[in-house]
Amino acid sequence: MNAKPICTALGVVAGLAAVSAMADEPRTLTVYTYDSFVAEWGPGPGIKEAFEARCGDCRLEFVALSGGVDLLQRLRLEGEGSAADLVLGLDMNLMAEARDLDLLAPHQANLSRLSLPVEWDDPVFLPYDWGRFAFVYDREALPNPPKSFAELLAAPDDLKVIIQDPRTSVTGLGLLLWMKRVYGDEAPAAWEKLNDHVLTVTGGWSQAYFSLFMNGEAPMVLSYSTSPAYHMAVENTDRYQAAEFAEGHYLQVETAAMLKTSEHPALARDFLDFVLTADFQRHIPLGNVMYPAIELGEERPAVFDRLIEPESFTFTPDEVQAHRREWIREWLNASTR
Amino acid sequence: MASEALTAGKASPHGQRRLTQLPLWAGLTALAALVGLGLGSLGALLVQAPGVSPSSLWREPYLAGVLRFSLWQASLSTLVSLALAVPVAVALARRPRFVGRRLLLRAMELSLVVPSLIALFGLVAVHGRQGWAAPLWEALTGAPAGYLYGLSGIVLAHVFYNLPLAARLLLQELERAPAAHWRLAAQLGLQRQAIWRTLEWPALKRLLPRLAALIFTLCFTSFAIVMTLGGGPGSTTLEVALYQALKFDNDLALAALLALVQLTICLGLWALALSQGGAPSLVAGDDAMPLQGRWQRRDALGVSRFTDGCWLVALSLLLLPPLAAVVLAGLGGVTDLAAQSSLWPALGRSLVMAAGAGSLALMLGLALLAGRGWLAARGQRLTAGLMEGSGQLILVLPALVLGTGLFLLLRPRLGGGWQGYGLVVLVNGFMALPFVMQVLRGALLGLPVAQRRLADQLDIQGLARFRWLLWPRLRRPAALALAYAMTLSLGDFSVIALFGSPSAPTLPMLLYQQLGSYRWQTAAATALVLLATVAALFMCFAWLTRRLPRYPFACPPRPDFPQPPANDRPEP
Amino acid sequence: MLCADHLSFHYTRCDPGETPDFAFTFHLAPGECLAVSGPSGAGKSTLLNLLAGFLTPSAGRLCWVGEAVGERFGEGQGESLPKGLNEEIGENLVEQPPWARGMTTVFQDHNLFEHLPVWINVGLGLAPDLKLSDAQRESILDGLAEVGLGGLHDRLPGELSGGQQQRVALLRSLLRETRVLLLDEPFSGLDRDNREALWGLVRRQQAAGVAVLLVSHDPEDVDALAQHRLQLLDGRLVTA
Repeated sequence: MNAKPICTALGVVAGLAAVSAMADEPRTLTVYTYDSFVAEWGPGPGIKEAFEARCGDCRLEFVALSGGVDLLQRLRLEGEGSAADLVLGLDMNLMAEARDLDLLAPHQANLSRLSLPVEWDDPVFLPYDWGRFAFVYDREALPNPPKSFAELLAAPDDLKVIIQDPRTSVTGLGLLLWMKRVYGDEAPAAWEKLNDHVLTVTGGWSQAYFSLFMNGEAPMVLSYSTSPAYHMAVENTDRYQAAEFAEGHYLQVETAAMLKTSEHPALARDFLDFVLTADFQRHIPLGNVMYPAIELGEERPAVFDRLIEPESFTFTPDEVQAHRREWIREWLNASTR
Repeated sequence: MASEALTAGKASPHGQRRLTQLPLWAGLTALAALVGLGLGSLGALLVQAPGVSPSSLWREPYLAGVLRFSLWQASLSTLVSLALAVPVAVALARRPRFVGRRLLLRAMELSLVVPSLIALFGLVAVHGRQGWAAPLWEALTGAPAGYLYGLSGIVLAHVFYNLPLAARLLLQELERAPAAHWRLAAQLGLQRQAIWRTLEWPALKRLLPRLAALIFTLCFTSFAIVMTLGGGPGSTTLEVALYQALKFDNDLALAALLALVQLTICLGLWALALSQGGAPSLVAGDDAMPLQGRWQRRDALGVSRFTDGCWLVALSLLLLPPLAAVVLAGLGGVTDLAAQSSLWPALGRSLVMAAGAGSLALMLGLALLAGRGWLAARGQRLTAGLMEGSGQLILVLPALVLGTGLFLLLRPRLGGGWQGYGLVVLVNGFMALPFVMQVLRGALLGLPVAQRRLADQLDIQGLARFRWLLWPRLRRPAALALAYAMTLSLGDFSVIALFGSPSAPTLPMLLYQQLGSYRWQTAAATALVLLATVAALFMCFAWLTRRLPRYPFACPPRPDFPQPPANDRPEP
Repeated sequence: MLCADHLSFHYTRCDPGETPDFAFTFHLAPGECLAVSGPSGAGKSTLLNLLAGFLTPSAGRLCWVGEAVGERFGEGQGESLPKGLNEEIGENLVEQPPWARGMTTVFQDHNLFEHLPVWINVGLGLAPDLKLSDAQRESILDGLAEVGLGGLHDRLPGELSGGQQQRVALLRSLLRETRVLLLDEPFSGLDRDNREALWGLVRRQQAAGVAVLLVSHDPEDVDALAQHRLQLLDGRLVTA
C-alpha cells in the first residue's frame, strides 16, 4: 500500500483532534447545515472566510447532515443539549415543526433588505435563499415541453417524468404541495393522471437527477427552476431548461435560525445579520444554485436572467404541518391503486 | 469427529486449565457489546416511544401492504438469485481453466461491496430505457425496454448484487470436496446425473439454507434499489416505511414496531438456517485448489461445453457491463479530479475509518467464533448457535434504527464533531460483522480433528496454539474479511449521513455532495476512485497473503555453543 | 506400571455386527511393548483414543501403580484392582486432559501439521509455545540427522515421503520424553527398510523406559516389537 494516503490519513486524525481541542476556545459558532452547502465548491467555504474576516477572532464550524429533514431530526434528538448555535437549511415545510420544538430564538434581523416573491415577517426563521420547484426537461429529447400541469396530465402516455417520493425527499414533498395547491380537492384525480407519466418515484433528488435523468431515462425530472442556471453557467449548455407551468410554481424558501441555547447569542445574531449581506449572498446563486434572498444587483450571475419567472405560491408552514400526513396518505391511495 | 458426536459420555473435562477459557470470555464480551448496543438502541427507541401497537400492522392496510411487498420482493429475489447461482457455480467448477476466470471470480467477489448508488448508475446505463441493452430488447420483443422499473427491476438489481455472491460461495463449496472424490468420479467415469447426485448436490445442499437467509436479509432490508427502481409507492418496503416514520413523522413507536417486525422475520429465518447446519465461508481466491488435481471429468465433454459456456457468458453479461458503464462514465470526469482538492483527503479519511471499522469487525468476528468453538466443543450447541447468530443481529436491525438508537443512548457524551466519526466506525464495524464471520468461519472452526488431537497431546495451548496452528490458516481469510469489512465501510453512506460530520467529508459523502450540486461528471470520477480503491484493497490484501509463510530455521551457533548435556536427551 | 481397570465406553449408535460396549482391563510396564490385535471394527482405535484422552470413558480407571500392585492385578481376566490398596494407586488419568497424560499417539498418517516445516513440527514437542533454547534447536538438528533426515528441517511435511513423515513423528515423541507411546498402525504401507528404521526408533524408546501399546495388522510388526499380546473380542481384551 502506498504510504501517502496513510500519512494523509494520520494528518486528518491529528487535524480532527485539533479541531475538537479548539472547540473549547471562546467564540466558535457551530452551524448545522446540509452536506452540499459545505462542499468545497458550495457556498460554505466562502461564507466561512467572509464571516471570520468580518468578526475578527471568531470561528465558524459547519456540521453537515444529509438534508433539511435530518437537521430537524437532529435538533429533536439533541434537544437542549445541542452543540449547535445556528441551523441553516430548514425549509418552509419544516418550519412549523421546528418551531414547536421550542429550541429556537428570534433572529432580530432587519428584514427590509429581503427580496422574496412572498411577504416575510417571521421572527424566528430568516430566509437565506429561495427557489421554485419545476420540471427540468432535456431540450434534445423534448423540444416542446408541456406549458402547464393540465398539458402534462393530458399528454400522451409516452411522455415520462421522474419524480421523488414525498415521504423521503424535500422535492417530492414540494411536488405534493404544488399539486395540492393547484388542484385542491381534485388532487387525487390529478395524481392518477400524472401517475401514467411517472417512470419511477425515487427516494431522493440525487438518484432521480444523476442516475436516471442524466442517463436519458426520461426527458423530464422534478427539480428546481434554478437547475438550468448551473448547466448554463458552469457546463455552458442550454440543453436542460425548466418548463414553465401556467398554473404557477410552488416556492421553496430555505431559512437560517439560531438556537436559544447558543453560548454566543450575540455572535449568532451577528451571523444572522450577515446572512442578508452581499458577502453571504454572492455565494448563493452558483454555489447553492438558488436565488439569493436579497437584491444582488450586478453580482447576480447573468444566467439567472434567463431562468423562467413564473408566478409562485406556497401554503403557510402551519397548513403544511396540519395536513402533511393526510395529503401523503391521499397521494399513497391515488398512487397504489 | 463422528465417533465423538456419537458418544454417550459427557464431553472431555479439558476446561479446567489456564488460558483455555479465554475464547469464551472474548466471545461473551463481543456478544455483550453486540446485543447490548443492538438491542439497547432498539430499547432506547422503545423507551422514547409513547406506545407501540402491534395490531396496527394488520389493521392498517398500508402497513400490511408494505409488509407483503417486502416479503414478496425479497423471496422472489432470493429464489431467482439462488436458482441461477447453482448452474453458474456448477459450470464454473466444471471449467477450472479458461481465459478471464480469475478476473470473473474477482468481479464476483466485488459485486457485493459496490455502493448501491454506483451500481444503480451502472444498471440504468445498461438496462434503462436508453441503456445499452435497450435496442436489443426492442429488437427481440418489439416493445421499448421498460423492464428496469417495477418489480422486475428490483429483482434484476438484487440478482446483480446477490447472484455473483451466491455463485462464488457455492463454487467454493464444490471445490472443497476432497480431491479423492473427484479422482474416484473420474475413474468410474461418472456422468452428469451421477456427479450431481453424489458430489455436487450434497455439497451445495449444506450451504443453501444459510445462503438463502443471507440473501433474503440483504434483499429484505434493501432501500436505495427499491426506492429508485420500484416505480412508485406501490413498491414500498419496510425500510422505506421506517425511514418515513423515523425521519419525517417522528413516529418512534411505529419505527420501533417496524424494526421489531424486521428483526423477528429475519432472525427467525436465520435461526431456521443455522439449525440446518452447513457453513458457507468465503476463502480468499483459492486458485491453487482446482489446479492441483487436473483430473478429467467425463461430464465436461460434449454438450455441456456449450451449456456451460452459455451460463458463463450470461453471468459475465449480468455482472460486467454495469461495472464497465461506471468505469466509462468515471473516465469522462477524470480530468475534473485534478481540480478537486478535497478528493484525496476524503479518501484518506475514508480509509482510516474503514481500517478502524474493519479491525473492529475482525476482532468481534474472531471473538464470537472463538467463543462459539469453545461452547460447541463442550456440547453447548444451543448457546454456541446463539453466539454465532448474534453476529447477524446488526444485519437485520435497520441501520437507521441502530444509528438513531445509539444517538439516543450516547447523546450526553456526544458533541457532534469527530466523536461522530467514532460512532460511524463502530456502527460500520458492526454492519460488516456478518460478512466477516462468513469469511472467517471455515478457517476458525475447521481445525481438522487429527490436528486438534495432535495439538492437545503436545499441549499446544493458548497463544502458541493461535500463533502456530490457527494464524497460518487464518491469514488469508482474515485478510479477505478485513478487505470486505473495509470496503463495506468505505462505500457506506447511510450511517455517516445519520451522524453528520464536520465540513470534512468522507469519500461517499463527497460523492453525494457532488451529486447534490449537479457535478455529476466529477461524481462519476469520484465513484470510479471509490471503485478502484475497493478493487485495490482486495488485490493488496490478496497479494500480502498470497502464500504460506515458510518459517526459516534459525541455526543455533554451533561452533561456540557446547553440545547439550547427555541427560537432556531421553536416550538410553 | 500403567493399569486400565474396566475402562468402559458405549456407542449410542452402531451398525449391526459392531460392538457397542467396551470395557478394557490390562496393565503395561515401562519398557514393555503390548500388541493388541483384532478384526477391524473391534474397537482398537476406541481403546487408543480412550487412553489418549480423545474419548471420555463412561466408567473405569486408568492409573499408574506400583510394581507390586500391578503384578497382583489380573490381566485380561476382568478382575478389578484390589480394594484397600487405593493409597498405592496413583491419580486416575481419566480426569486428565490429553496433554497431561504423558502419552503420544502416532497414527497411520496426519501426525504432522501440514502447514508447518519439519523443525517446527518437532520443536512443538519440545516446547508447546515454540520458545526453543539453542540447546533444543541443537537437539532437533541432531535428532533429524540420527533418523536420517539431516538437512530436511525446512521441508514441509507434504514434501517428505510417508516413511520420512513417520520418522519425524516418532522423533518428536522421542524428544518429548513421553511415558507411553500409542502406535495406531503407524507402519502401514511402508516398505521394509523404512519399517526397520522405525522399529529401531521404537526400540530406542522402549529401552529408555517408555511403555508401548501397538495396534497393527501386520504380524511382522508385532513379532519385531511386542513382548505381550492381547486380542480384542466383543469389546474385551483377552489373552491371544
